[in-house]
Amino acid sequence: MVALPEMSEREPPDPLAHLGERIDKARADRVRRPSAVVDRSAMQQGLGLGLRIGIELVVAISLATGLGWAIDHWLGTRPWGIIVLFFLGVAAGMLNVYRAVSGISTPVGYRRPDGYGQSEDGAGKQPSQAPWDDDEN
Amino acid sequence: MAIELHPLEQFTIERIIPIHIGGLDVSYTNAALTMTIAVVFVTALMVIATRSAALVPGRWQSVAEMLYEFVADMVDSNIGQGGRQFFPFVFTLFTFILFANLLGMIPFSYTTTSQIIVTFALAAVVFILVTAIGIIRHGFHFLSLFVPHGVPKFLLLLLVPIELLSYFIRPFTLSIRLFANMLAGHTMLAIFGGFAASIGVFALFPTGINVLLVGLEFLVAVLQAYVFAILTCLYLNEAVHLH
Repeated sequence: MVALPEMSEREPPDPLAHLGERIDKARADRVRRPSAVVDRSAMQQGLGLGLRIGIELVVAISLATGLGWAIDHWLGTRPWGIIVLFFLGVAAGMLNVYRAVSGISTPVGYRRPDGYGQSEDGAGKQPSQAPWDDDEN
Repeated sequence: MAIELHPLEQFTIERIIPIHIGGLDVSYTNAALTMTIAVVFVTALMVIATRSAALVPGRWQSVAEMLYEFVADMVDSNIGQGGRQFFPFVFTLFTFILFANLLGMIPFSYTTTSQIIVTFALAAVVFILVTAIGIIRHGFHFLSLFVPHGVPKFLLLLLVPIELLSYFIRPFTLSIRLFANMLAGHTMLAIFGGFAASIGVFALFPTGINVLLVGLEFLVAVLQAYVFAILTCLYLNEAVHLH
């Protein structure tokens, strides 16, 4: 765009001159542009994540405890159903929160906004293969 | 118009056209009306936007294109390969919830997403779809979702129920999150509005808070639609690319 006026001063410019350069520049812009988008969406994702994990634990525990109470009610196993399912609910809720926060079981592009922009084609297309494969121990 | 002093009154379901089939009450209510309006608005936006599709988009077309690109980006980066076939579903879900939430922000309108049954129906559709896709794509192997590998056998006895529970909780968290956010926000607005109406001269303070809250509610309305859609994408991703 800056090069345009000085080009027009010379003889009628070849429309194809500098085409390669312009394409390269446009490509570079295209690559650069997502970083701005990512910044915004990183904020969105952070906000979304924060709002979504809050309820995860509460619902898991209350739902599991309610289920335990219902099982007790049907089978007359009071108080074991409510006890067992309460702790299962706590575990399940924490598992969900842990997963939401650590990005396990979410694709690569979701949790790592910083590594997201650089490999533009590959990012996101490559879902995480094995969420449980972090067991080096 | 009198300002409501009953903060929960705004969520009352009213039958507009009473319909009873058999013993079932399938009346057309104000909640159903708001849903209809949301659907009509989304459809109208898309029809108007694409009616005269141009290379250089006009106002409506650029709105529609922004919506499209936003959801397409979300689908691509969260489902990845083979995700585009779910684009219509996610797009419909996102735009519907977005419009339903935003319609609720119009004073004296009805917030249909503040009804748990509405959000639960949406979440149940997502849950059933995700489970069905998982089973269709992977068959019996889909159950391996509940069996973390690399874990000692005796621990599976504990871990499988936990995994099962955390899977079946999904439709509930999905629906309660949206419903609770909308319900709480709108109740809060009504409470501060009620304060302002009842304390006369000092009403400036609660009114000021309400101004801020309205801004927050707009954020929540958009964000909750986004969260719902992105979680749908994540669940779909899990069902499509079984780990």
